[in-house]
Amino acid sequence: MMMQPAIRILVVDDESAIRRALRPPLVELGFQVVDASRGEEALQMLRAGGFDVVLLDVNMPGIGGIETLRRIRAFAPRLPILMLTVRDQEQDKVEALEQGADDYVTKPFSMRELIARIRTAVRRVRAPARAEDAPIHIGELRLDPVKRKVTRRDQPVHLTRKEFDILLCLMSRAGRVVTYARLLTEVWGAEYREEVEYLRTFVRQLRKKIEDDPANPVYLLTDVYVGYRFADPQMFIEETEEGAPPPAAEEAEA
Amino acid sequence: MLGNRLALCFIPASSESVNAAWLLTFVLVAPLIIFLLSMRARNKSREAESLDRQLRDLHEFTRRTLEMNLNLEPGPQLAELAHEIFALESVAVFDADLHQVYPAGHWNTDPQEMTRNVYYFGTSDDDPKTGLGRRVVRLGTAPIGSLVVRGATSPLTNDAIASLTAIAFDRYRAYANESRIETERRTEQLRSTVLDSLAHAYKTPLTAIRAASTGLGEMGHLSPAQAELVALIDEQTGLLGNLTTRLLTTARLDAGEVTVHVAPVDVAPLVEEVVASLGDCLASMKVAIDIPDERLTLECDRQLMVMLLMQYIDNACKYSIYGSTITIHAVKERAEVVFSVRSFGQVIPINDRERIFDRYYRSTTRPSRASGTGIGLSVAKRVALIHGGSVWVTSDETEGTTFYAAIPATARKGVS
Repeated sequence: MMMQPAIRILVVDDESAIRRALRPPLVELGFQVVDASRGEEALQMLRAGGFDVVLLDVNMPGIGGIETLRRIRAFAPRLPILMLTVRDQEQDKVEALEQGADDYVTKPFSMRELIARIRTAVRRVRAPARAEDAPIHIGELRLDPVKRKVTRRDQPVHLTRKEFDILLCLMSRAGRVVTYARLLTEVWGAEYREEVEYLRTFVRQLRKKIEDDPANPVYLLTDVYVGYRFADPQMFIEETEEGAPPPAAEEAEA
Repeated sequence: MLGNRLALCFIPASSESVNAAWLLTFVLVAPLIIFLLSMRARNKSREAESLDRQLRDLHEFTRRTLEMNLNLEPGPQLAELAHEIFALESVAVFDADLHQVYPAGHWNTDPQEMTRNVYYFGTSDDDPKTGLGRRVVRLGTAPIGSLVVRGATSPLTNDAIASLTAIAFDRYRAYANESRIETERRTEQLRSTVLDSLAHAYKTPLTAIRAASTGLGEMGHLSPAQAELVALIDEQTGLLGNLTTRLLTTARLDAGEVTVHVAPVDVAPLVEEVVASLGDCLASMKVAIDIPDERLTLECDRQLMVMLLMQYIDNACKYSIYGSTITIHAVKERAEVVFSVRSFGQVIPINDRERIFDRYYRSTTRPSRASGTGIGLSVAKRVALIHGGSVWVTSDETEGTTFYAAIPATARKGVS
């Protein structure tokens, strides 16, 4: 990370208190921060270029977050965009993801979570594209897309065909949320995109096979009402390096 | 009578052919006949006139009672109207609902008792001597008041006045009831709007505080004491945030603004998920999940059912003995899935068991140590009701306290 140029963030939120709260820690941690209070303003700034990531509030006066997102995507298809959403508006989150947002964080979020999301999003763009068939290592799990094999602590994990497909879909996007609809479409086909309960049953089985405590998963996490998220590989690396506790399953639901 | 007399006069006239007698009779009788005939015609027309007048009066009375101010008591208005329109000497109306007698016109004696007695003894009659007409005012068969009139009205008219009085009473009551419901609905709507905007207004400061406190932590360089305080700010902001979310959801539930998405839900993973998300709170308790049928499913709104179970389990956690066991049970009984959450703590007094599900109700006997808003269980009840289900609680020393929620396994039509 030190070798990389500083990450330049555009924070778009109409609430000045939130912009003021975000700036000092982000700057202190080595990010460059530029603010905008409206979608329209953000669009102008982004057209000039030079940003690595956008934090975009969903609820703003004017054209609002979702429309701003749509317009950014029209000229910057790969620019990482994280939406700032509120808990009770799950539909906004799904809508934002469908419109091409990379991820979202739910207000009130912790800085640790926000920074982890920012890093994941930026890394995805900066990292050299992973070969489609390269094995994926996350924590103690290893998935080989070619041999269609999964091991955990070097022990084989026996998965059904669909379980493997789900795991592949999630692990290849580790750290990012995958909506129910997307997962269902990829694994079963578009006509199944509404069958969330079906998916839940599979995820439950899958957790029994890959998690130590399926009721408190550390790998296969639930983003309540939105989808599933495989734990960010970075979390496991930091954990071993810093001895930090494992990431809590976020969005413990109220 | 008049007809008979005329017949008597005409019989000899038509059977006799004696001119003189006939002429005499004619001379003598003709004016009488003419007089009598004209009398009869006049009487007829007077009778007709009187009928016509009474009809007009009744029509007027009907029209005016329909125009009555329904925001005011109906009794005084009805008494005054009857007195004025039917030109009565005096009127008294008894409203059994409000328990009041309303007199109008001139009464020599107080009509209070007499009017009440008409209602209590069910006497409906007309006394030609005193000119008093007494009527029980009935709606269908149910007596709802009484009416006493003195004046020149026919028994039929008195009946009609009594019927119209009953209709007016009924309209007034329906209106009062409707406006009470409307008022309640508006109050509820207002409360929900206020709660909603409050909760939203809280979100921004909460987000800024949490970003700031966790930002301090991430920036490092904090002494242990500083880190401790920052952690405290963070933790308390989290509590405030949860409370806000809960308020918001309650407000939406109350205002009926929650869209219910019904889909088949597997019960076992649902319960497991709720237990997992309450991890911190349940850390000091033993939790037993008892769902005999692994494949038990329920047609419901998952999000709302999570809220219901969350409230029950959270509640059990708050009010039970430290380290005791909380048992979560789900089973299909006939057409319903019955969830129960059992815990051991202080027994809930019988008087509280019904009201415990009311909003803002907090048992007087429960220790004040427990953090709570008195909102949670009302949310659970709302959720059950939305699904066409029910909630109840049992509580005693040996069996502990068990909160139940019975939800129809198959969603009813209209809930989608």
